[in-house]
Amino acid sequence: MEDYVIEMLHITKEFPGIRANDDVTLQLKRGEIHALLGENSAGKSTLMSVLFGLYQPEQGIIKKDGQEVKISNPNDATALHIGMVHQHFKLVECFTVLDNIILGAEPMKGVVVDRAAARKKVMELSQRYGLKVDPDARVEDISVGMQQRVEILKMLYRDNDILIFDEPTAVLTPQEIDELMDIMRGFKAEGKSILFITHKLAEIKAVADRCSVLRKGKYMGTVDVANTSVEEMSRLMVGRDVQLVSTKDESHPGDVVLQVDNLTVPSKVSKKDAVKHASLQVRAGEIVCLAGIEGNGQTEFIHAVTGLDKPSSGTVTLCGRDITHAPIRRRSKLGMSHIPEDRHKHGLVLDYPLEYNMVLQRYWEKGFQQGGFLKKRVIREYSDRLIEQYDVRSGQGSTTIARSMSGGNQQKAIVAREIDKDPQLLIAVQPTRGLDVGAIEYIHKQIIAQRDAKKAVLLVSLELDEVMNLSDRILVMYEGEIVGEFDPKTTDVQTLGLYMAGAKRMDKEG
Amino acid sequence: MWLLLKYTLLYASVLALVALGGMFSERSGIINIALEGIMVIGGLMGVVAINLFNAAGIPVVLGVILTILISGAAGMLYSSLLAFSAVNLKADQTIGGTALNLLATALAVVIAKRINGSDSPKISYNSTTNKVLSNLNFSFQIGPLTLNWFIVVALAALVAAWFILYRTRFGMRLMACGEHPQAADSVGINVYKMRWCGVLISGLLGGIGGMAYIVPAVGDWNFEIGVAGMGFLALAVMIFGQWKPAGIAAAALFFAVFRAMANIFDSIGFLNALNWPKEIYNMMPFLASMVVLAFTSKKSRAPKAEGVPYDKGSR
Amino acid sequence: MAEKNRAPRLGNSADGVSSLLASLTCILMGLVIGFLALLILGWITLAQDGNTVSFGEMLGKTWNSGFKAILSGGFYKTANAMGMGVRTEILQAAPLIMTGLSVAFAFKTGLFNIGAAGQYTVGAYFALFGAIVLKLPWWACLLASAIGGAIWGAIPGFFKAYLNVNEVITAIMFNWIGLYGVNTLIYQGGSGPMYNTNTTKTYTIKQVSPDSLLPTFNIPIGDKGYFGKMFLPTIGIFIAIAVAVLIWVVLNKTVFGYELKACGFNKNAAKYAGINDRKNIILSMTIAGALAGLGAGLFYLSGSKEWEPLVSTSLPATGFNGISVALLASSNPIGCIFSAIFISHITVGGGFMDAGIFPSEVSSIISGVVIYLCAFSLLFRSGIRKFFAREPKKAAGKGKEADA
Repeated sequence: MEDYVIEMLHITKEFPGIRANDDVTLQLKRGEIHALLGENSAGKSTLMSVLFGLYQPEQGIIKKDGQEVKISNPNDATALHIGMVHQHFKLVECFTVLDNIILGAEPMKGVVVDRAAARKKVMELSQRYGLKVDPDARVEDISVGMQQRVEILKMLYRDNDILIFDEPTAVLTPQEIDELMDIMRGFKAEGKSILFITHKLAEIKAVADRCSVLRKGKYMGTVDVANTSVEEMSRLMVGRDVQLVSTKDESHPGDVVLQVDNLTVPSKVSKKDAVKHASLQVRAGEIVCLAGIEGNGQTEFIHAVTGLDKPSSGTVTLCGRDITHAPIRRRSKLGMSHIPEDRHKHGLVLDYPLEYNMVLQRYWEKGFQQGGFLKKRVIREYSDRLIEQYDVRSGQGSTTIARSMSGGNQQKAIVAREIDKDPQLLIAVQPTRGLDVGAIEYIHKQIIAQRDAKKAVLLVSLELDEVMNLSDRILVMYEGEIVGEFDPKTTDVQTLGLYMAGAKRMDKEG
Repeated sequence: MWLLLKYTLLYASVLALVALGGMFSERSGIINIALEGIMVIGGLMGVVAINLFNAAGIPVVLGVILTILISGAAGMLYSSLLAFSAVNLKADQTIGGTALNLLATALAVVIAKRINGSDSPKISYNSTTNKVLSNLNFSFQIGPLTLNWFIVVALAALVAAWFILYRTRFGMRLMACGEHPQAADSVGINVYKMRWCGVLISGLLGGIGGMAYIVPAVGDWNFEIGVAGMGFLALAVMIFGQWKPAGIAAAALFFAVFRAMANIFDSIGFLNALNWPKEIYNMMPFLASMVVLAFTSKKSRAPKAEGVPYDKGSR
Repeated sequence: MAEKNRAPRLGNSADGVSSLLASLTCILMGLVIGFLALLILGWITLAQDGNTVSFGEMLGKTWNSGFKAILSGGFYKTANAMGMGVRTEILQAAPLIMTGLSVAFAFKTGLFNIGAAGQYTVGAYFALFGAIVLKLPWWACLLASAIGGAIWGAIPGFFKAYLNVNEVITAIMFNWIGLYGVNTLIYQGGSGPMYNTNTTKTYTIKQVSPDSLLPTFNIPIGDKGYFGKMFLPTIGIFIAIAVAVLIWVVLNKTVFGYELKACGFNKNAAKYAGINDRKNIILSMTIAGALAGLGAGLFYLSGSKEWEPLVSTSLPATGFNGISVALLASSNPIGCIFSAIFISHITVGGGFMDAGIFPSEVSSIISGVVIYLCAFSLLFRSGIRKFFAREPKKAAGKGKEADA
């Protein structure tokens, strides 16, 4: 008889039109680090939300220490000492670190919140586990890595001994990831049990004891990590052999297409500049990748280059023309295509039908309108062609409302639209975020095809695998500055990590 | 000058009460544009209660306290319509609030007409018609200065609001719901319940505020004009006060000066000499609010999740 | 692929049907609540007078001298001599269509135009000024009213686009500023050029500038026509309907409409597409204001009512009822025509009730309840859609598979 601390048996959870968990079983041993592996939208987060009491499953039971329990809200989970670090942190930004940690479990002195007692307990925990935080700082002012510590302290403050980490490494540098793994091993040594959700196999190999795999909502089995190869786990996760490394020919860069000089962009949230004197060049026929941890100015840099925001100084030149202050429409006419970071915020009008989204950058062109009236038939034909050519799948073809499409197909539609414009410069910001392996492979192929067609490509990515895989040249951005330039053939992830964390930097030229 | 002070304090307490109400609602994440309507209902029920207690001949002190409580309760009851649509049905908060504003005036006129048994929507509660309990009982004198009990209520509400918001568990959780309801939910706070509380408190304060506007100043009220935009001014006070009790107190005083001038401009020498029509003074607080908002709103920081219905299912 | 293309507008027409059914549900529930209000009010009134009636009698009385009038609207028999009731209903429907369009148009751009009342007020002033002071022909006065409304609509648009002030707040404040301002300008201490001290109203247009009145029409039924000879309805209703059609074309067929709706659905994506969102916000509010102002022109240039600066202490209900009109129509311009006629219908009908028992504001209560219900009509809509979608679940499942 194994000593299981948590058992989730035959869990089924349905949402309208989709079965997110289909007869899933997960058994967590006491004192182990157990990885939950699966692609994006394989049902990992749903399963954890069930465990955490955020969703109620249609079928299946949960056992704690062999006893069946009912978890109908997070309070029940807390009472069972289950805690979770969510993928998207659940922190109130204008509250202090201390208030965020105690929220929902406030120590009281009469009717008043006893912040002094809370502070004492938090500082003790902070010291004991080496999780340094400033309790009086506001969450909006601290770094992402620090925010994760606050989330971890939230669990510890509630005396949780079953800790769930939902994709905790996505926002960290390689070095911070190592630190986190040390912390996790420390928890294990104290007898706490850990569930570690991820789709990164290397991390599982590094830290986990056992690994359960989900694919499209179904349970694929549990393996011992020590006895299982990365390839086997990958096959379990995706269901076929995966060519994770895209093959591409040697690049032959041509003329400079995009030239950015000394670009400085003010920050929206603080008084500091988000981008400081950043310069780069992208030539025809090469993929230049801007790497870095989220929130180091990449977004603001791209916004300034694409015209969504205004830089305070510096110049942007596209094919020899100064476009620093040009409106977005003019940039587009000059041959700039932009696959935006947030497809729901910028990339699509979700309530428009797909055909209207397909012409979002071109509806004003002579071919699509006449005398101010839309040529609906032409738009329909154009959209039908893109759908067919780029294999965009949707319920009702061109008339499908974009909102009802899957994330992968939404992204394919954007890629189709931006590539079909036949641009000189393709800017792709995190083009594969949140997609499954099939879609990622497809989009990678399209980007490489653009390069081979002698287009200039500027790629922004947080995924180091993607960076190493696709780019011909890598630039690392740290706190708004470009701190290093690398050839992917002669560098490795660890080196990039040091630059991304600001531990090292190349001297600026001239 | 005493007169100016009297009316300034009167309107400041009205604005502060109602704006504090708005603050509680918005801090919980619900935009409460229905404050105007809540004031009308609170005021109406308060006035009705005065006349009932007058007829029943109950002791004055008890009557004053009870009528204030009744106006607050009426406001709460009415605000529950907003809470129901905004919290439970996840309806558009601005539209729901607008509906309640329109409904309130219509309801008030219908009820007033029925009470009068005639086609007049005007209700009197002055010392000529009411021998036991009238509007005069809500005021008291300190030397040359006439004050009213609502000033005391407003001061108490300000202190209480500060304490609740920044010192108690309830306030902390309320603010969390207005800023990041998913975060609140994830630590076991019932967002729906907190938002209901926020709206109900706004109903309580809005209802009392409605009565504070109508009763101490005049002896009869025509419910066709509702509360003439006072609830909307309170919204401006709340924004100008940055959703904070201390800021609201200051903003309320500022706007109250403008509003008070409309009542007494003809008794202030230099204003009278200008010979401006009364309507200009009526317009003044609204103009002032626009000027103030134009200059401050770029920096203004509303509760992040306000206006966004919270749905447990979607995250 | 080809098969998918053959079922193109299905999604959208199902949308239309479900929003129509949702609106009808709102109306029905509003009417039921109105009926109950009448019942209770009647009961109280009769009890006040010391009469006791049975429940059956009360029901009959509520129906006959109350609710029947509301349902019959302008066609209520005793009030429709010489088409008077119908004339009033048409007269009030025209401005309501316009304020409804005003709110609906702004909705399409993602803005809530609660300022239709103020824009209507300012439009009324411009129309009256053109008629009484400048003695312009009717079409020029209409144009003036639209300009007045446009100015008052542009202000919240400007505040929103450049100063980041919520348009709802600005519009509310400018409603009051507009009302007090117009009263001041008309009255001017009793010496205003438009103010008739004898009647304490503005001068009657018919007397000072007959050319400024809108042309009239009649329906050739009976020997004198349906409306008789004395009081004829104006062509305002036809102008309003024509504008509604125009707005529909602009929103659905033009590049401008594409841009406006893109802004309304997703401001950020619109910006990404190179659409100037600030320009669109201001333009959309300006047009919305012009529509509301034009509505006031259609009403005041019919010569059936004058402005009374001394007693106009509350904002015109037509402005706020525009919100009900737009919501009932789910912001569809053509739908606004019908929902405006409905609101006008029950308002006019409300006035025909036995005033001794039933206050006419009951129809305002119905209209308020209808807006309240409309606020969550989305809920009805998805409920209705689910009800109809039970059949083709298989197809939906198939689509899902294709997505994954």
